[in-house]
Amino acid sequence: MKRMNMRKLVATFGASALIVTGFVAVTPSAHAADPVCATSAKTGVETCAGKLSNGASYVMMVPSTFNGTFFYWNHGFRASYPYPGYSVPTGVQEVTPYNPSTGKDVTQQMLYAGYGLASYDRSSTGLHGWNSADSVEMLKNLIDIAKAKYPTIKKNIIYGSSAAGAILTPFVEKYPNYADAVGIMAGLTPPAANEIKSLCDAFYIMSVFFDPTIKGCAAMGAKGVAGHMAALGELGKVVALLKGWSADYGAKPLAYPAAITPYGIPQRSALLLSGLMIGLPTKSSHMDGISTSTLVPEQSINATIAILENYGEAIATGALAGQAISEITGPGFYDNTKTDWASLLSDEDAARYNLGLSGDDAISAMVGVLSMAPRVKGDPAAMAKLAALDHVDFSSTKPTVLLSNEADRLVFAGNTSYYVDKAQAVYDQRLADYQSGKSKVKPVWNTLAMYAMTPVTYTKFLASGAPDLSAKTAAVSGVGHQNFTVDQMMAWVRILAQSAKYGHLPTDNYVAANLKRDPNFNLDPMYRPNDLKYTA
Amino acid sequence: MKFKPMTAVAILAVGALSFTAIPAQAADPGVTDTEITLGMQLPQTGAASPGYNKVDDAMRAYFDYVNSKGGVYGRKITLVAKDDKYSAGLTISTASSLINESNVFAMVGSVGTQTHSAVIKDLNRRGIPDLFVNSGNSAFYTNPSKYPTTFAGLGTYVVEAKILGKYIKATYPDKKVGILYQSDDFGKNAIQGFTTAGLVFTPGKTAAGFIAGTQGSLGITSQLKQLQDAGVQVVIIASVASTTAIAALTAKALNYTPDKWVVMSVGSDATTFQTILYTKKIMPAQSAAMLAGIVSASHAPSPGEATDEYVAAFKKINDQFNTGTDKTWDNNVLQGMNIAYQTVEALMGTGKNLTRKALINWMNTKGSTLTSAALAPVGFSSKTHEAYTGFWIGEYDATAVLKPVGASRVVYTTDSAAGPVTISTFKRPAISADALPKAA
Repeated sequence: MKRMNMRKLVATFGASALIVTGFVAVTPSAHAADPVCATSAKTGVETCAGKLSNGASYVMMVPSTFNGTFFYWNHGFRASYPYPGYSVPTGVQEVTPYNPSTGKDVTQQMLYAGYGLASYDRSSTGLHGWNSADSVEMLKNLIDIAKAKYPTIKKNIIYGSSAAGAILTPFVEKYPNYADAVGIMAGLTPPAANEIKSLCDAFYIMSVFFDPTIKGCAAMGAKGVAGHMAALGELGKVVALLKGWSADYGAKPLAYPAAITPYGIPQRSALLLSGLMIGLPTKSSHMDGISTSTLVPEQSINATIAILENYGEAIATGALAGQAISEITGPGFYDNTKTDWASLLSDEDAARYNLGLSGDDAISAMVGVLSMAPRVKGDPAAMAKLAALDHVDFSSTKPTVLLSNEADRLVFAGNTSYYVDKAQAVYDQRLADYQSGKSKVKPVWNTLAMYAMTPVTYTKFLASGAPDLSAKTAAVSGVGHQNFTVDQMMAWVRILAQSAKYGHLPTDNYVAANLKRDPNFNLDPMYRPNDLKYTA
Repeated sequence: MKFKPMTAVAILAVGALSFTAIPAQAADPGVTDTEITLGMQLPQTGAASPGYNKVDDAMRAYFDYVNSKGGVYGRKITLVAKDDKYSAGLTISTASSLINESNVFAMVGSVGTQTHSAVIKDLNRRGIPDLFVNSGNSAFYTNPSKYPTTFAGLGTYVVEAKILGKYIKATYPDKKVGILYQSDDFGKNAIQGFTTAGLVFTPGKTAAGFIAGTQGSLGITSQLKQLQDAGVQVVIIASVASTTAIAALTAKALNYTPDKWVVMSVGSDATTFQTILYTKKIMPAQSAAMLAGIVSASHAPSPGEATDEYVAAFKKINDQFNTGTDKTWDNNVLQGMNIAYQTVEALMGTGKNLTRKALINWMNTKGSTLTSAALAPVGFSSKTHEAYTGFWIGEYDATAVLKPVGASRVVYTTDSAAGPVTISTFKRPAISADALPKAA
């Protein structure tokens, strides 16, 4: 059993033909059972395993030094069907926050700190996919089981990563008494429509400039294996393009459509344009957006290679999560008939990356081609379902602590700032109501966004001048999805625990003391990552 | 980006900013009873640095002079300049350093269109005054609702192009006019201005664009050949000085001798032009000869005008207070002095109770009264944050000094829209005996 790893998926597409096996979904027995527990003589940790009422597995771990604070982990998205490098989970994979790049979690550290831990396999009727609504009820079920088993629990903290953002916020709004604090790591802020639309745009832009057979999100909507295979097929087409550019950095001129060929614009400029239009980070594991070499003489080329390095995992997210969502909405959830492509490239980016985009004339030509290309018309009913998916109103008063990487290529950091914006709007209204006498409850600001940043520079070059894209020189912080150090994850955990303890965010001094444990934590209270391109 | 933890702890300790609370209306950073800390970003090193790397030292020299006279309401001015090497990624990280570590009150005189594009949105979001930016990109200034804290340090490229365009039409009515432009905001502004003035360019014939930043690596031979083949007799260059230098060499290689080169002011800076050519083993006397005869424009007196009262005063201050590695008096030093002078004037005008909001408000309401060495007025208001609304036209002489065309200097004025080009009636106020601005 393997966790979902988009990097491996993308690599697999490049290395071999797609081989999909084992499509048999296991439907677990739908009844809860008492947990089976055992205590380690060596560590004193009691580990209990059992089934939720829908049959999904869960695990609880409680140290002998349990301090009354219980954490409930919600893992991210899992596809319902396998693909090379991934088999569908049939049990609990993660007990605590987990870094898929390093393979490290914080289970030992959290147990040592005296926290109780619980986690569950977010499968419903044996499938995964976009089952956030089911997961909300499963999480409630898990908390009920834990509270029954451990009556000494004083504080409950729900936390999770990635797509779990679409569970945690709806959960705390529906069951506010079930959580004393909420932790969202590299998390999606509902509605998923915001980021999914950008990822669907990525497919579309690829189809316009490089491969007209790409249908992208327009190909999604079939249920089950057929839909899964269709989405993987779309992904494979884009990955094939990316593989080609990895060899030549996209130096060849755009050859499609005919209207753009006279400009001699290198393909990499359209790749960069696409990345900027969807909000993909311009820093990647190996490219810092700044460093130069004789082969990479200007920073915008560095950023282009960063886009290239980030694109595969982003588009894989679009394929798998988009397909999973389409099973709920039906086909036609994506529509770009009203998209103003020019507006998706900010003036600031057009200027900053002007060289990489091959200048204003090339930008105008590329945007013009996009504007004139046939649009994708969606189905209004499916679009409405997508817009309503995982509806939240950001009304929770519970302390909520978000942790995000500056350059997360899967769930963009703009999700975190978007959450803060929405929470602040609610707070501002409550404050106005209080000040005007409409409300007697003075609101408390209870949202904290933590960002892990990259070092200023970290790109290494080979003797040839080509960037060294080997893992050894990867950025130590700030890039990738859920790519946090143990220190960063534990700082987040401690702040969550302190928040639950007092019912509000800890003091600035406490926060600062935890942030300074890692040299790459953002310490600028007014820092803001790139905004999402779409915000509902 | 990363910051030293102690700095943030210090920030938190004084309560200026908070992680766990919505930022309150706390005292602005960078201002104490005794000091005002200002920041700027510029290429101090690297290929784009020649000439521009003197601006910060000149500004600091003037501030040091003001400090020697007691500062502004008793506050000494400290300028913290960061080298971004004209790399936008470094512009972002150095801006964070200036904001979070140096705790600057305002940014002044930052250099570069592309680099400033990387930070302008964030500076404005934070409400940080972003004064006297050394870029003529009209998009930074003509829509203050988009960038409310950013104010220009140069006239816009549109204004300059309109004025030069009118001159070209009047002076060379029978000549075929073409343009070599960098395909970015600069070139876009320039073409807008020249076409507004009535010039007509044909893409692929009399309009030759290139991607900014490639003039050194890829060259501009094909572009100049295009203009040569099209029979262009008056070549406009809407680009930076490195392009002008390469164009001069390339035209020589092509045996292309247009009747006249007209170069926008950024592209004709003598120091930059000659420094770049010096790296190609072309001696100053030879490069000055190459510059001679080029028509350009300026909003300020030429640094070679020793009798100009501002030039004389600033040159004296530069001699006494500039501690930079190269304080040779030139257009960049004059521009640095001018910006510093205006900064002091704005700080004085805002008053003793200095806040970012008050400074921006003063710039919007009283900024048009700012004086300086410039021979054209500034256009600051709540509707536009454009600086100089006028230019005079000159021609470089054999000593690399821009001299007015015609019998006397005429300053023309216009706007960045479709307004007419007219002769300015602006009378520059005299500089005070102590070379200190007086509060408006």
